[in-house]
Amino acid sequence: MSLLALEDVRVTFGHRVALDGVSLAVEVGERLVLLGPSGCGKTTVLRLLAGLAVPDRGRVLIGGRLAAAEGRLLVEPEQRGLGMVFQDLALWPHLSVAGNLELGLRARGTPRTDRRRRVRAMLELVELGELAGARPGELSGGQQQRVALARALVLEPEALLLDEPLSSLDLELARRLRTEILRLQERLGFTLVHVTHDPEEADQMATRTLRMDRGRLAG
Amino acid sequence: MSPVRRAVLGSAVLLLVVAGLLPVAGMILRSLTAGGHLGFEAYRGLLGSARQWSLAGNSLLLAALTTVAALLLGVPAGVLVGRTDLPGRRLLAALLAMPLLLPPYLNAVAWMAAGSASGPVARVLGEGAARTLSHWLFGLPGCVLVLSTAFMPLIMLLVAAALRGVPPRLEEAGLLAAPWRTVLLRISLPLAAPAILLGAALVFLLALGDVTVPPSFRYPVFAVESLSQFSAFYDLSAATAAAMPLAAITAAVLGLEALVSRWTGAGTAGRGREPGPPPTVPLGRFRLPAAVTAWSVAGLLVGAPLLILVLRAGGPASYAAALGQAGGSLVRGLLLAAVGGTLLAAEGFLLAVLGVERPRGAGAAADATALFLFAVPGAVMGVGLIVLWNHPWANLIYATPLILLLGYLARSTAVTLRICRATLELVPPGLVEAGRVAGIGWGRRLVWILAPAAWRGLAAAWLAGAVFCLRDVGMTLLVHPPGWDTLPVRIMTLAANGAPELIAALCVLLVAATVIPVGLLAGLVGRMEAGS
Repeated sequence: MSLLALEDVRVTFGHRVALDGVSLAVEVGERLVLLGPSGCGKTTVLRLLAGLAVPDRGRVLIGGRLAAAEGRLLVEPEQRGLGMVFQDLALWPHLSVAGNLELGLRARGTPRTDRRRRVRAMLELVELGELAGARPGELSGGQQQRVALARALVLEPEALLLDEPLSSLDLELARRLRTEILRLQERLGFTLVHVTHDPEEADQMATRTLRMDRGRLAG
Repeated sequence: MSPVRRAVLGSAVLLLVVAGLLPVAGMILRSLTAGGHLGFEAYRGLLGSARQWSLAGNSLLLAALTTVAALLLGVPAGVLVGRTDLPGRRLLAALLAMPLLLPPYLNAVAWMAAGSASGPVARVLGEGAARTLSHWLFGLPGCVLVLSTAFMPLIMLLVAAALRGVPPRLEEAGLLAAPWRTVLLRISLPLAAPAILLGAALVFLLALGDVTVPPSFRYPVFAVESLSQFSAFYDLSAATAAAMPLAAITAAVLGLEALVSRWTGAGTAGRGREPGPPPTVPLGRFRLPAAVTAWSVAGLLVGAPLLILVLRAGGPASYAAALGQAGGSLVRGLLLAAVGGTLLAAEGFLLAVLGVERPRGAGAAADATALFLFAVPGAVMGVGLIVLWNHPWANLIYATPLILLLGYLARSTAVTLRICRATLELVPPGLVEAGRVAGIGWGRRLVWILAPAAWRGLAAAWLAGAVFCLRDVGMTLLVHPPGWDTLPVRIMTLAANGAPELIAALCVLLVAATVIPVGLLAGLVGRMEAGS
């Protein structure tokens, strides 16, 4: 049984077809990269898996369980056990770095002491322990990227969805952060679905690469 | 900066200064030179009187309770109409926003009619119930009920707009870890906190400065003191001194609001807004109970008073009498509103352009000034205008409707400025830049590109400006030239000894004169949008 699966999904936005007849399966522990140009539907695939969008046709399965089908959302995003890093990072500007990590744990009813411990451990892991009290606006681009990563990982997701989070960074910083993501993946053992338009990034991150073009999987 | 640009934008700033800041400055000077020499003579009498301190305490209590009530109603209403799938939310928003378009005392007239011996409560529940209602209404509770209904829409509209401006990505990031309820409480509403704070500050100041509702319910407040010192005793020095604390509190509250907003991260919501509507929050199993509650509250606070006024007015004879007594005031009010709305839309548009071009310098100063003048009580502005313009050399202004137009500009530019600014921020910068590259000058870019691109905002600004002119009472009551009273002022003056049916009919006419044009224009804009 695959951890994540799309079966013959079609997604439209008004008259525009974003995805058409896309089927894919992601196995536990694998690092799948979706490679393709802007507007080819990569982000829509991640949003379907995360539960932020529903398919007009076809099915979405999470851990073998039907999560969305034919325009209906059956499993809410917070119940899917997935983490996501957005292209623009989407850090909550009114909360501190620690607050950004803590909110999800708090929503899940994690006791305060446990919450604090996990946040501290995760910030140490991404080497941001010193900046727990800082606001996102006070951090550099690379630090913000690591906060977004830590926020997704602190909930111990079974799979991490990365929506081109490195695209706005300079080449050297992006390369370093890719290495860091791989180190974390090896250590924590989560499954990775990464979308990018950069072939070099795909080569470095993937155990398997799927190409996308105009809403379809190519080849 | 090109000479045309400097001249046009400079004139807009100068107009705001002349219309609003100079009267306030003149008032300060007048209060300090009472008796012909520099000193605090006018204040000594004011500060030494126990009655004045008691009035100030009443005013602050009324403003605080009104703000709390408006927050309790306005924040949930803003969430429900702004972001959820509540049935009929657009109609509900329109219904709840209606009191903001009307002078607050209309609701006071309706509630007093409800509690009268021949009112609907007496007829349905008996005279005892009507007496209890009337007894409860007269005083602080009635003022809080009416003023919180009147100003709550400000908070509702600000919260709804701020929630629609929260970048969807920030909420989606939350949805991966928590349900909508938590995301709204922990992410969306904290990001809308500056808007809530601004709404609360404005409601506090508007309640503090209202001079129409407290006298209706016989609740003595400080703002009425300034009005009566002038209108009853024609003591301009005392009126000026009585107005000054309100102007000072206005400046202090808005300054505090700006400070706290900066501290809580003002402006975070709305930045990086993505195109398209934000995601709708599903109410799920709470949809029906929420709809029943929201519609019941709207029915009680807005629908019931209007119905009571219509019932109280009775048949066509009352309306014929009302038109006979105050038809001229209605026509004059509409005429002044049309001209005032046009001036306000133009002024708001130009200052919004300044705000977009110079967001931190002159634009921010103009915005803060306009907001201060909006929050200054109408009676205070009226006293300021009298101090500045009541001189023989200024008869061309003081003895003509120009004085009212200046007052409207001072009081309501903030409304049209904010509407135009919100619209201009949605115009893609490329449209204007393309014109610049093509060699089109600044003035022509403004007329040929920017104004047509922002026409919806301009239309909304004109309408809002006209409505705020039409509903003004405090300032108009003090400064209207002979023969230029407006309908709200006429109703106020007739309310003391006019027949209840006549007053109710006049109130219904005022509601119709305000709501029908708003509804027609909203329908027209909606149809044009659907057509495009």
